[in-house]
Amino acid sequence: MAKTIMIVDDSSTMLMSLRNSLEIAGFNVLEANDGSVALRNLQAGAKPDLIITDINMPNMGGIELIGKARALPGLRFIPILALTTESQQGKRDEAKKLGATGWLLKPVSGADLSKIIKQVLPGA
Amino acid sequence: MSESQEPGFAAQESVEVLLRLEQAIDSSLSSVIVDTETSAQSIIQHVRRLHDSASTLASYLDGTSLKTGDLGKEIDESVIFIVNIGEFIEQLPAKMERDLAAVQAVVAEINTLSELTSDVRAISLQSHILGINAAIEAARAGTAGSAFKVVADEMRMLAGNSGAMAVRINAGLSRAKQIVESGLQSTIAESSLQLAEVTKAAASIHKLRDNLNDMSQYYKTRFAVVIKHNEDLVKDIAAALGQIQYQDVVRQCIERIRAVSGRRNDALCALLGSSGEDPGAVAELPLQLELILGDYVAEENNHGHSERQTSGAPLKLELF
Repeated sequence: MAKTIMIVDDSSTMLMSLRNSLEIAGFNVLEANDGSVALRNLQAGAKPDLIITDINMPNMGGIELIGKARALPGLRFIPILALTTESQQGKRDEAKKLGATGWLLKPVSGADLSKIIKQVLPGA
Repeated sequence: MSESQEPGFAAQESVEVLLRLEQAIDSSLSSVIVDTETSAQSIIQHVRRLHDSASTLASYLDGTSLKTGDLGKEIDESVIFIVNIGEFIEQLPAKMERDLAAVQAVVAEINTLSELTSDVRAISLQSHILGINAAIEAARAGTAGSAFKVVADEMRMLAGNSGAMAVRINAGLSRAKQIVESGLQSTIAESSLQLAEVTKAAASIHKLRDNLNDMSQYYKTRFAVVIKHNEDLVKDIAAALGQIQYQDVVRQCIERIRAVSGRRNDALCALLGSSGEDPGAVAELPLQLELILGDYVAEENNHGHSERQTSGAPLKLELF
Protein backbone atom coordinates (compact mmCIF):
# COMPACT_ATOMS: atom_id res chain seq x y z
CA MET A 1 0.00 0.00 0.00
CA ALA A 2 1.32 3.43 -0.94
CA LYS A 3 2.65 5.57 1.91
CA THR A 4 1.15 8.99 2.56
CA ILE A 5 3.31 12.08 2.82
CA MET A 6 2.16 15.47 4.13
CA ILE A 7 3.90 18.45 2.52
CA VAL A 8 3.75 21.87 4.20
CA ASP A 9 4.94 25.00 2.41
CA ASP A 10 3.62 28.52 1.81
CA SER A 11 4.94 28.45 -1.77
CA SER A 12 2.41 27.04 -4.20
CA THR A 13 5.28 26.30 -6.60
CA MET A 14 6.98 24.15 -3.94
CA LEU A 15 3.72 22.35 -3.17
CA MET A 16 3.13 21.62 -6.86
CA SER A 17 6.70 20.49 -7.44
CA LEU A 18 6.75 18.22 -4.39
CA ARG A 19 3.27 16.83 -5.03
CA ASN A 20 4.16 15.86 -8.61
CA SER A 21 7.56 14.42 -7.64
CA LEU A 22 6.02 12.34 -4.86
CA GLU A 23 3.04 11.17 -6.90
CA ILE A 24 5.36 10.09 -9.71
CA ALA A 25 7.37 8.15 -7.10
CA GLY A 26 4.13 6.41 -6.06
CA PHE A 27 3.21 8.21 -2.83
CA ASN A 28 -0.11 9.64 -1.70
CA VAL A 29 0.16 13.34 -0.89
CA LEU A 30 -1.53 15.65 1.64
CA GLU A 31 -0.93 19.39 1.29
CA ALA A 32 -0.98 22.33 3.69
CA ASN A 33 0.11 25.89 2.89
CA ASP A 34 1.32 26.71 6.38
CA GLY A 35 1.96 25.15 9.77
CA SER A 36 -1.44 26.03 11.26
CA VAL A 37 -3.35 24.33 8.40
CA ALA A 38 -1.13 21.27 8.72
CA LEU A 39 -1.67 21.11 12.47
CA ARG A 40 -5.45 21.42 12.05
CA ASN A 41 -5.42 18.53 9.56
CA LEU A 42 -3.33 16.41 11.90
CA GLN A 43 -5.64 17.22 14.81
CA ALA A 44 -8.60 16.26 12.59
CA GLY A 45 -7.12 12.78 12.15
CA ALA A 46 -4.82 12.95 9.13
CA LYS A 47 -2.27 10.15 9.53
CA PRO A 48 0.68 10.72 7.19
CA ASP A 49 3.62 8.34 7.24
CA LEU A 50 6.02 11.26 6.81
CA ILE A 51 5.82 15.06 7.09
CA ILE A 52 7.99 17.35 4.96
CA THR A 53 7.74 20.96 6.14
CA ASP A 54 9.17 24.33 5.21
CA ILE A 55 10.52 26.36 8.14
CA ASN A 56 9.72 30.00 7.41
CA MET A 57 5.98 30.30 6.81
CA PRO A 58 3.27 32.81 7.79
CA ASN A 59 0.86 32.05 10.68
CA MET A 60 2.83 29.07 11.96
CA GLY A 61 6.37 28.17 10.97
CA GLY A 62 7.84 24.71 10.59
CA ILE A 63 9.65 24.60 13.93
CA GLU A 64 6.47 25.37 15.85
CA LEU A 65 4.60 22.77 13.77
CA ILE A 66 7.20 20.11 14.60
CA GLY A 67 6.87 20.78 18.32
CA LYS A 68 3.06 20.76 18.28
CA ALA A 69 2.78 17.73 15.97
CA ARG A 70 5.05 15.68 18.23
CA ALA A 71 2.64 16.32 21.09
CA LEU A 72 -0.27 14.78 19.17
CA PRO A 73 -1.18 11.13 19.76
CA GLY A 74 0.20 8.81 17.10
CA LEU A 75 2.67 11.36 15.75
CA ARG A 76 5.45 10.89 18.26
CA PHE A 77 7.57 8.67 16.07
CA ILE A 78 6.68 9.46 12.45
CA PRO A 79 9.58 11.04 10.57
CA ILE A 80 9.45 14.82 10.04
CA LEU A 81 11.85 16.44 7.59
CA ALA A 82 12.48 20.19 7.30
CA LEU A 83 12.86 21.33 3.68
CA THR A 84 14.00 24.94 3.59
CA THR A 85 16.49 27.54 2.41
CA GLU A 86 17.12 28.34 6.08
CA SER A 87 20.57 27.18 7.14
CA GLN A 88 20.98 28.83 10.53
CA GLN A 89 22.51 26.30 12.93
CA GLY A 90 20.43 27.65 15.83
CA LYS A 91 17.18 26.81 13.99
CA ARG A 92 18.48 23.35 13.07
CA ASP A 93 19.29 22.70 16.72
CA GLU A 94 15.87 23.91 17.79
CA ALA A 95 14.13 21.70 15.23
CA LYS A 96 16.23 18.72 16.30
CA LYS A 97 15.38 19.37 19.95
CA LEU A 98 11.66 19.48 19.12
CA GLY A 99 11.83 16.13 17.32
CA ALA A 100 12.67 16.77 13.64
CA THR A 101 14.16 13.75 11.89
CA GLY A 102 16.32 15.65 9.42
CA TRP A 103 17.08 18.95 7.72
CA LEU A 104 17.15 19.30 3.97
CA LEU A 105 18.04 22.29 1.81
CA LYS A 106 15.91 23.37 -1.14
CA PRO A 107 15.74 22.54 -3.94
CA VAL A 108 15.55 18.76 -4.00
CA SER A 109 15.12 16.61 -7.09
CA GLY A 110 12.59 13.80 -7.28
CA ALA A 111 15.37 11.21 -7.37
CA ASP A 112 17.13 12.66 -4.29
CA LEU A 113 13.82 12.99 -2.48
CA SER A 114 13.00 9.32 -3.13
CA LYS A 115 16.40 8.24 -1.77
CA ILE A 116 15.99 10.38 1.34
CA ILE A 117 12.46 9.10 1.94
CA LYS A 118 13.74 5.50 1.72
CA GLN A 119 16.32 6.39 4.38
CA VAL A 120 13.82 7.78 6.87
CA LEU A 121 10.81 5.65 5.91
CA PRO A 122 11.80 1.98 5.69
CA GLY A 123 9.64 0.03 3.28
CA ALA A 124 8.71 3.10 1.22
CA MET B 1 20.07 82.01 -3.65
CA SER B 2 16.48 80.72 -4.09
CA GLU B 3 15.09 77.85 -2.02
CA SER B 4 15.23 75.44 -4.93
CA GLN B 5 18.88 76.19 -5.41
CA GLU B 6 19.85 75.36 -1.82
CA PRO B 7 21.89 72.10 -1.34
CA GLY B 8 19.51 70.78 1.35
CA PHE B 9 16.55 71.12 -1.01
CA ALA B 10 18.37 69.30 -3.80
CA ALA B 11 19.23 66.45 -1.45
CA GLN B 12 15.60 66.24 -0.31
CA GLU B 13 14.39 66.21 -3.88
CA SER B 14 16.92 63.50 -4.74
CA VAL B 15 15.74 61.34 -1.86
CA GLU B 16 12.11 61.75 -3.00
CA VAL B 17 13.02 60.66 -6.53
CA LEU B 18 15.05 57.79 -5.10
CA LEU B 19 12.05 56.61 -3.07
CA ARG B 20 9.80 56.75 -6.12
CA LEU B 21 12.42 54.76 -8.02
CA GLU B 22 12.51 52.24 -5.19
CA GLN B 23 8.71 51.98 -5.31
CA ALA B 24 8.84 51.29 -9.02
CA ILE B 25 11.55 48.65 -8.52
CA ASP B 26 9.60 47.05 -5.68
CA SER B 27 6.51 46.90 -7.85
CA SER B 28 8.56 45.25 -10.63
CA LEU B 29 10.05 42.75 -8.19
CA SER B 30 6.58 41.93 -6.95
CA SER B 31 5.49 41.31 -10.54
CA VAL B 32 8.58 39.17 -11.12
CA ILE B 33 7.61 36.96 -8.19
CA VAL B 34 4.05 36.53 -9.49
CA ASP B 35 5.18 35.98 -13.09
CA THR B 36 7.89 33.45 -12.23
CA GLU B 37 5.49 31.64 -9.92
CA THR B 38 2.85 31.42 -12.65
CA SER B 39 5.45 30.34 -15.18
CA ALA B 40 7.00 27.76 -12.81
CA GLN B 41 3.60 26.24 -12.09
CA SER B 42 2.78 26.12 -15.77
CA ILE B 43 6.10 24.35 -16.40
CA ILE B 44 5.27 21.85 -13.64
CA GLN B 45 1.90 21.14 -15.27
CA HIS B 46 3.56 20.63 -18.67
CA VAL B 47 6.25 18.42 -17.17
CA ARG B 48 3.62 16.36 -15.38
CA ARG B 49 1.67 15.91 -18.62
CA LEU B 50 4.93 14.90 -20.28
CA HIS B 51 5.47 12.32 -17.55
CA ASP B 52 1.91 11.03 -17.89
CA SER B 53 2.37 10.70 -21.67
CA ALA B 54 5.66 8.89 -21.13
CA SER B 55 3.95 6.55 -18.65
CA THR B 56 1.13 5.88 -21.11
CA LEU B 57 3.69 5.15 -23.81
CA ALA B 58 5.58 2.82 -21.46
CA SER B 59 2.31 1.11 -20.59
CA TYR B 60 1.45 0.61 -24.29
CA LEU B 61 4.95 -0.72 -24.94
CA ASP B 62 4.65 -3.14 -22.02
CA GLY B 63 1.30 -4.35 -23.35
CA THR B 64 2.62 -4.62 -26.89
CA SER B 65 5.73 -6.43 -25.66
CA LEU B 66 3.59 -8.92 -23.74
CA LYS B 67 1.27 -9.49 -26.71
CA THR B 68 4.25 -9.85 -29.03
CA GLY B 69 5.75 -12.35 -26.59
CA ASP B 70 2.53 -14.37 -26.55
CA LEU B 71 2.29 -14.19 -30.33
CA GLY B 72 5.93 -15.23 -30.59
CA LYS B 73 5.26 -18.25 -28.37
CA GLU B 74 2.27 -19.26 -30.51
CA ILE B 75 4.34 -18.85 -33.67
CA ASP B 76 7.17 -20.86 -32.13
CA GLU B 77 4.75 -23.65 -31.24
CA SER B 78 3.26 -23.59 -34.74
CA VAL B 79 6.71 -23.61 -36.30
CA ILE B 80 7.75 -26.57 -34.14
CA PHE B 81 4.59 -28.38 -35.29
CA ILE B 82 5.28 -27.58 -38.94
CA VAL B 83 8.93 -28.52 -38.58
CA ASN B 84 7.88 -31.87 -37.07
CA ILE B 85 5.62 -32.45 -40.07
CA GLY B 86 8.46 -31.42 -42.37
CA GLU B 87 10.83 -33.85 -40.67
CA PHE B 88 8.22 -36.60 -41.03
CA ILE B 89 7.85 -35.77 -44.70
CA GLU B 90 11.62 -35.73 -45.11
CA GLN B 91 11.71 -39.28 -43.77
CA LEU B 92 9.04 -40.41 -46.24
CA PRO B 93 11.50 -41.42 -49.06
CA ALA B 94 13.24 -43.91 -46.76
CA LYS B 95 9.85 -45.16 -45.60
CA MET B 96 8.69 -45.53 -49.17
CA GLU B 97 11.86 -47.43 -50.01
CA ARG B 98 11.04 -49.85 -47.23
CA ASP B 99 7.41 -50.10 -48.42
CA LEU B 100 8.63 -50.69 -51.97
CA ALA B 101 10.88 -53.50 -50.81
CA ALA B 102 7.93 -55.03 -48.94
CA VAL B 103 5.70 -54.78 -52.03
CA GLN B 104 8.44 -56.29 -54.19
CA ALA B 105 8.63 -59.15 -51.69
CA VAL B 106 4.87 -59.60 -52.07
CA VAL B 107 5.26 -59.68 -55.88
CA ALA B 108 8.01 -62.28 -55.53
CA GLU B 109 5.72 -64.32 -53.31
CA ILE B 110 2.94 -64.03 -55.92
CA ASN B 111 5.37 -65.30 -58.57
CA THR B 112 6.19 -68.28 -56.33
CA LEU B 113 2.49 -68.98 -55.86
CA SER B 114 1.98 -68.69 -59.62
CA GLU B 115 4.65 -71.34 -60.15
CA LEU B 116 2.82 -73.58 -57.65
CA THR B 117 -0.39 -73.37 -59.71
CA SER B 118 1.57 -74.79 -62.67
CA ASP B 119 2.47 -77.77 -60.50
CA VAL B 120 -1.16 -78.12 -59.50
CA ARG B 121 -2.20 -78.07 -63.17
CA ALA B 122 0.40 -80.78 -63.98
CA ILE B 123 -0.87 -82.94 -61.12
CA SER B 124 -4.41 -82.41 -62.37
CA LEU B 125 -3.43 -83.50 -65.89
CA GLN B 126 -1.69 -86.62 -64.57
CA SER B 127 -4.78 -87.38 -62.45
CA HIS B 128 -7.01 -86.99 -65.50
CA ILE B 129 -4.84 -89.40 -67.53
CA LEU B 130 -4.85 -91.76 -64.63
CA GLY B 131 -8.66 -91.53 -64.49
CA ILE B 132 -8.91 -92.34 -68.26
CA ASN B 133 -6.63 -95.34 -67.84
CA ALA B 134 -8.69 -96.51 -64.88
CA ALA B 135 -11.91 -96.18 -66.92
CA ILE B 136 -10.37 -98.23 -69.74
CA GLU B 137 -9.37 -100.95 -67.31
CA ALA B 138 -12.82 -100.88 -65.70
CA ALA B 139 -14.47 -101.39 -69.14
CA ARG B 140 -12.24 -104.40 -69.77
CA ALA B 141 -13.24 -105.92 -66.47
CA GLY B 142 -16.91 -105.76 -67.51
CA THR B 143 -19.54 -105.95 -64.76
CA ALA B 144 -16.86 -106.58 -62.16
CA GLY B 145 -15.24 -103.26 -62.99
CA SER B 146 -18.46 -101.20 -62.84
CA ALA B 147 -17.71 -99.93 -59.33
CA PHE B 148 -14.16 -99.13 -60.28
CA LYS B 149 -15.51 -97.19 -63.28
CA VAL B 150 -17.43 -94.90 -60.89
CA VAL B 151 -14.21 -94.16 -58.99
CA ALA B 152 -12.35 -93.55 -62.25
CA ASP B 153 -15.06 -91.07 -63.41
CA GLU B 154 -14.98 -89.22 -60.08
CA MET B 155 -11.21 -89.07 -60.31
CA ARG B 156 -11.36 -87.55 -63.79
CA MET B 157 -13.96 -85.01 -62.67
CA LEU B 158 -11.80 -84.09 -59.66
CA ALA B 159 -8.77 -83.72 -61.90
CA GLY B 160 -10.79 -81.47 -64.20
CA ASN B 161 -12.04 -79.32 -61.31
CA SER B 162 -8.60 -78.95 -59.73
CA GLY B 163 -7.15 -78.01 -63.10
CA ALA B 164 -9.84 -75.38 -63.63
CA MET B 165 -9.27 -74.10 -60.08
CA ALA B 166 -5.51 -73.84 -60.69
CA VAL B 167 -6.19 -71.81 -63.86
CA ARG B 168 -8.47 -69.45 -61.93
CA ILE B 169 -5.96 -69.06 -59.08
CA ASN B 170 -3.21 -68.29 -61.57
CA ALA B 171 -5.38 -65.73 -63.33
CA GLY B 172 -6.20 -64.11 -59.96
CA LEU B 173 -2.56 -64.02 -58.98
CA SER B 174 -1.63 -62.46 -62.35
CA ARG B 175 -4.26 -59.76 -61.87
CA ALA B 176 -3.06 -59.08 -58.30
CA LYS B 177 0.52 -58.87 -59.48
CA GLN B 178 -0.45 -56.50 -62.28
CA ILE B 179 -2.41 -54.28 -59.86
CA VAL B 180 0.42 -54.14 -57.32
CA GLU B 181 3.08 -53.50 -59.95
CA SER B 182 1.14 -50.77 -61.78
CA GLY B 183 0.19 -49.12 -58.42
CA LEU B 184 3.80 -49.23 -57.32
CA GLN B 185 5.04 -47.65 -60.54
CA SER B 186 2.57 -44.79 -60.35
CA THR B 187 3.33 -44.24 -56.64
CA ILE B 188 7.07 -44.08 -57.33
CA ALA B 189 6.52 -41.64 -60.20
CA GLU B 190 4.23 -39.35 -58.17
CA SER B 191 6.36 -39.59 -55.02
CA SER B 192 9.53 -38.42 -56.73
CA LEU B 193 7.72 -35.21 -57.73
CA GLN B 194 6.08 -34.77 -54.31
CA LEU B 195 9.35 -35.39 -52.52
CA ALA B 196 11.00 -32.55 -54.41
CA GLU B 197 8.14 -30.26 -53.29
CA VAL B 198 8.43 -31.53 -49.71
CA THR B 199 12.13 -30.75 -49.65
CA LYS B 200 11.37 -27.22 -50.84
CA ALA B 201 8.61 -26.84 -48.23
CA ALA B 202 10.89 -28.02 -45.42
CA ALA B 203 13.56 -25.50 -46.47
CA SER B 204 10.90 -22.75 -46.55
CA ILE B 205 9.71 -23.69 -43.07
CA HIS B 206 13.25 -23.46 -41.68
CA LYS B 207 13.75 -20.11 -43.39
CA LEU B 208 10.42 -18.87 -42.01
CA ARG B 209 11.46 -19.85 -38.49
CA ASP B 210 14.82 -18.09 -38.88
CA ASN B 211 13.09 -14.95 -40.20
CA LEU B 212 10.67 -15.00 -37.29
CA ASN B 213 13.52 -15.32 -34.81
CA ASP B 214 15.35 -12.41 -36.48
CA MET B 215 12.21 -10.26 -36.47
CA SER B 216 11.47 -11.12 -32.84
CA GLN B 217 15.03 -10.19 -31.82
CA TYR B 218 14.80 -6.93 -33.80
CA TYR B 219 11.62 -5.86 -32.00
CA LYS B 220 12.98 -6.91 -28.60
CA THR B 221 15.99 -4.68 -29.19
CA ARG B 222 13.76 -1.81 -30.32
CA PHE B 223 11.53 -2.21 -27.25
CA ALA B 224 14.59 -2.21 -24.98
CA VAL B 225 15.89 1.00 -26.58
CA VAL B 226 12.53 2.78 -26.31
CA ILE B 227 12.09 1.66 -22.69
CA LYS B 228 15.59 2.94 -21.85
CA HIS B 229 14.78 6.33 -23.42
CA ASN B 230 11.55 6.40 -21.45
CA GLU B 231 13.40 5.72 -18.19
CA ASP B 232 15.84 8.53 -18.99
CA LEU B 233 12.88 10.80 -19.72
CA VAL B 234 11.31 10.00 -16.34
CA LYS B 235 14.65 10.74 -14.61
CA ASP B 236 14.94 14.07 -16.42
CA ILE B 237 11.35 14.93 -15.51
CA ALA B 238 12.10 14.24 -11.83
CA ALA B 239 15.21 16.44 -12.09
CA ALA B 240 13.22 19.22 -13.80
CA LEU B 241 10.62 19.15 -11.03
CA GLY B 242 13.44 19.65 -8.53
CA GLN B 243 15.07 22.48 -10.48
CA ILE B 244 11.78 24.37 -10.71
CA GLN B 245 11.93 24.75 -6.91
CA TYR B 246 14.55 27.47 -7.53
CA GLN B 247 11.60 29.74 -8.18
CA ASP B 248 10.85 29.54 -4.45
CA VAL B 249 14.52 30.04 -3.56
CA VAL B 250 14.63 33.14 -5.78
CA ARG B 251 11.27 34.36 -4.47
CA GLN B 252 12.56 34.24 -0.92
CA CYS B 253 15.75 36.03 -1.97
CA ILE B 254 13.69 38.79 -3.59
CA GLU B 255 11.46 38.99 -0.53
CA ARG B 256 14.53 39.57 1.63
CA ILE B 257 15.77 42.25 -0.79
CA ARG B 258 12.37 43.93 -0.68
CA ALA B 259 12.36 43.77 3.11
CA VAL B 260 15.79 45.33 3.45
CA SER B 261 14.92 47.94 0.82
CA GLY B 262 11.81 48.77 2.82
CA ARG B 263 13.84 49.30 5.97
CA ARG B 264 16.33 51.49 4.10
CA ASN B 265 13.47 53.50 2.57
CA ASP B 266 11.92 53.96 6.01
CA ALA B 267 15.23 55.38 7.22
CA LEU B 268 15.36 57.71 4.22
CA CYS B 269 11.70 58.71 4.75
CA ALA B 270 12.49 59.61 8.35
CA LEU B 271 15.30 61.81 7.12
CA LEU B 272 12.93 63.33 4.59
CA GLY B 273 10.42 64.01 7.36
CA SER B 274 12.95 66.06 9.21
CA SER B 275 13.54 67.92 5.91
CA GLY B 276 17.23 67.76 6.62
CA GLU B 277 16.73 70.28 9.29
CA ASP B 278 17.53 67.83 12.12
CA PRO B 279 21.30 67.42 12.21
CA GLY B 280 20.86 64.46 14.60
CA ALA B 281 18.74 62.52 12.11
CA VAL B 282 21.28 63.09 9.38
CA ALA B 283 24.08 61.96 11.62
CA GLU B 284 22.22 58.77 12.60
CA LEU B 285 21.57 57.74 9.03
CA PRO B 286 24.93 56.05 8.33
CA LEU B 287 24.62 54.10 11.56
CA GLN B 288 21.09 52.99 10.70
CA LEU B 289 22.19 51.96 7.22
CA GLU B 290 25.13 50.01 8.68
CA LEU B 291 22.71 48.24 10.99
CA ILE B 292 20.39 47.39 8.09
CA LEU B 293 23.36 46.18 6.02
CA GLY B 294 24.58 43.98 8.90
CA ASP B 295 21.14 42.46 9.34
CA TYR B 296 20.78 41.83 5.62
CA VAL B 297 24.18 40.15 5.32
CA ALA B 298 23.44 38.01 8.39
CA GLU B 299 20.03 37.04 6.99
CA GLU B 300 21.55 36.11 3.64
CA ASN B 301 24.18 34.03 5.41
CA ASN B 302 21.41 32.18 7.20
CA HIS B 303 19.91 31.14 3.89
CA GLY B 304 21.30 28.93 1.22
CA HIS B 305 20.32 26.30 -1.24
CA SER B 306 21.42 22.80 -1.97
CA GLU B 307 23.40 23.61 -5.11
CA ARG B 308 25.46 26.39 -3.49
CA GLN B 309 27.24 24.54 -0.70
CA THR B 310 30.50 25.98 0.61
CA SER B 311 33.04 24.07 2.63
CA GLY B 312 31.90 25.52 5.96
CA ALA B 313 28.18 25.38 5.18
CA PRO B 314 25.83 22.83 6.72
CA LEU B 315 25.18 19.67 4.75
CA LYS B 316 22.49 19.47 2.08
CA LEU B 317 20.87 16.72 4.11
CA GLU B 318 21.43 16.28 7.80
CA LEU B 319 19.69 13.44 9.57
CA PHE B 320 19.38 14.00 13.30
